[in-house]
Amino acid sequence: MGFPEMSSPQRKVSAVRVEDHAQLASGFRLGLQQLPGLLPKTLPRQVVIKPNLCDISPWETGVTTDPRWVCVVAAELRAIRPDVEIRLVESDAISAYKTYRSCEETFDRLGFAAAACEAGVELVNLSRSDAIEIRLDGIPQPVRIPQLLLEEMYFVSIANLKLHGYTRMTGILKNSMGLLTDAEISSLHPYLSILISRLHKLCSPDLCILDGRVGLEGGGPIIGRPVPTNTLLIGNDALSVDEASCRLMGIPPKQVAHLRQAAKDLERRLGKCEIVGDLRPRTFVFDDLRSHPAVQSKFGNRRRHQRMESISNRWIDRAYRFRDDPLTFAKEAIPKLLGGRRGR
Amino acid sequence: MGDRLKLGVVGAGAVLERYHIAAINAVPEVVRTIVIDADADRARRVAERYNFPKWSTDVAALVRQADLAVVLVPNGLHASVSCELLGQGIHVLCEKPMARNVDECLTMIDAARRGNAQLCIGHNRRFQQHMKLAKRLLAKGLIGDIVGVQAEEGSIHDWPRSPAYFDPVLSGGGALLDVGIHAIDLIRWFAGEFDRIEYQGNGTATTVESDAKLSFSLANGAKGSVAASHTRGLSQKLTLIGSEGFLEIGLWYPHVGIRSAKGKAFQNFYRLDAAVPRRPPLDGSFVDQLRNLVAAVRGELEVLVNGYEGMAAVEVVRRAYTGQAEPSMRNIKS
Repeated sequence: MGFPEMSSPQRKVSAVRVEDHAQLASGFRLGLQQLPGLLPKTLPRQVVIKPNLCDISPWETGVTTDPRWVCVVAAELRAIRPDVEIRLVESDAISAYKTYRSCEETFDRLGFAAAACEAGVELVNLSRSDAIEIRLDGIPQPVRIPQLLLEEMYFVSIANLKLHGYTRMTGILKNSMGLLTDAEISSLHPYLSILISRLHKLCSPDLCILDGRVGLEGGGPIIGRPVPTNTLLIGNDALSVDEASCRLMGIPPKQVAHLRQAAKDLERRLGKCEIVGDLRPRTFVFDDLRSHPAVQSKFGNRRRHQRMESISNRWIDRAYRFRDDPLTFAKEAIPKLLGGRRGR
Repeated sequence: MGDRLKLGVVGAGAVLERYHIAAINAVPEVVRTIVIDADADRARRVAERYNFPKWSTDVAALVRQADLAVVLVPNGLHASVSCELLGQGIHVLCEKPMARNVDECLTMIDAARRGNAQLCIGHNRRFQQHMKLAKRLLAKGLIGDIVGVQAEEGSIHDWPRSPAYFDPVLSGGGALLDVGIHAIDLIRWFAGEFDRIEYQGNGTATTVESDAKLSFSLANGAKGSVAASHTRGLSQKLTLIGSEGFLEIGLWYPHVGIRSAKGKAFQNFYRLDAAVPRRPPLDGSFVDQLRNLVAAVRGELEVLVNGYEGMAAVEVVRRAYTGQAEPSMRNIKS
């Protein structure tokens, strides 16, 4: 059982140490030099950059993307094609406090509006752009995606190094969830790993930048403690970059449901990515959300809701694995049951 | 004129009950006043059932009662009824096809001009959400230049029909005029004017065709065909083939299949299927169509399918029936 693995340069990930935040541009350039071919020789006219702006915490907390990336990436891309039209996209969000937050507010408060102005980049609120509802295999309800995805473009995904309460970790693959134009997507949570994998198929990034200068451990993805990991991961393949980020955080990639799902959909095996450069793994501490005082005080009902979703996610994931390959599932499950080991 | 437009209906048959009543209910800017039908029993029954305060068998009664009329009579009466109303300043929403021939269409346009009234033709599909989506995607150049068009619509018809429906003189035509004209109108809207056409149908001098096929080229050089039938179930879809992809548009179902060769989303998917939800009532296009006319009457919008647009579709059908392959030199918009 399994798929033949081929050594592909696209699956390599460039890892660079960036000790000084002011050296972001040089660090990025070094990462590109370490793995020639990461940037294409020609670009389409349209480039779309998707940062991770899931909250209004500043980038130093490890929660959101550093706005300086806008200028850094724009400069590199314009060196390839000066007349390239760069758009930075994000959607409106429902915050953890269940309050609605417009994307424009996020752009403004996190400094992206100023950075975009400086770099000549257009800011696009996907929730207010033309959208289209499509059906994705394995998702029972239609999902709304921006019509932008139907057009020709070069897609850059910039994500953060974070733990996540539902999915264990976030990264490049999970960052694509922000492409959904609806702010309220909690109804899709039970299908999260399938949805993330399908979205990756729908809009796989051409350039993946995982900014691990400041990681986030704890409950994630917006609650936790910043961890200075001082590492940039750059690659063309989202799954490989996410695998590398798992290594950096000390998480076995196979424990992450959406990575397993994406690997399966791409007919690949996890744990095969090759890292070029300097990667110094450490272990991110995953908090039990129940002990967090903020959670205790503000997320009483939400915690129970999240717990139920987490449990249902796990069982749905197991059901899918059992349906698709009962033999392998049984082989994995029986020793765990006999040994009394927990899956997570 | 008060805030709400007084609306009358001419023709109380199945089309009113199946489609237009739901639309009239959903547009608060109109208030129903009178229903007219040649069959007094039917007019009375429909008036009672759908809360029209008055009913009559005489179209002239509507002129005194309404600002706006929905004309749902057999094809052969479209022109005479509409002209009577338009000439007296009543705005008209006339079901498709606009009329049996171009001369009747011109009479209607002239009557609207004389009466200073709005004339809207019921090519309702232009108002369907998925058609609007397809139009927007085309405008973005998603599939490049249109090089081919295929449309198929047909089913075994199960409607209550009067004998006039099957009479070529009274109805003006069969499957192509009744069903195919929807596709013809949409093709004109999406891809431009028809150029050379070639028609095949099984109509005779005494009965209209039940199956029709129209092969054509468009002014932009694209080639295509329209198949319409009253005896066979066809695929009920319109496919626009472009130089860089295609759009497959459901004629009965709110569905758009998309393929754009260069599009990011199509690197791993051959095609994507857009799901366009229908909102109640079942087909919101009739609501939007009536709203469009109301807005035009109030001077807020242009009528989307005006008399010239309706006439252009009729002209294509007339050319098919008369074997006129090349378009006439007459500029119908002048």
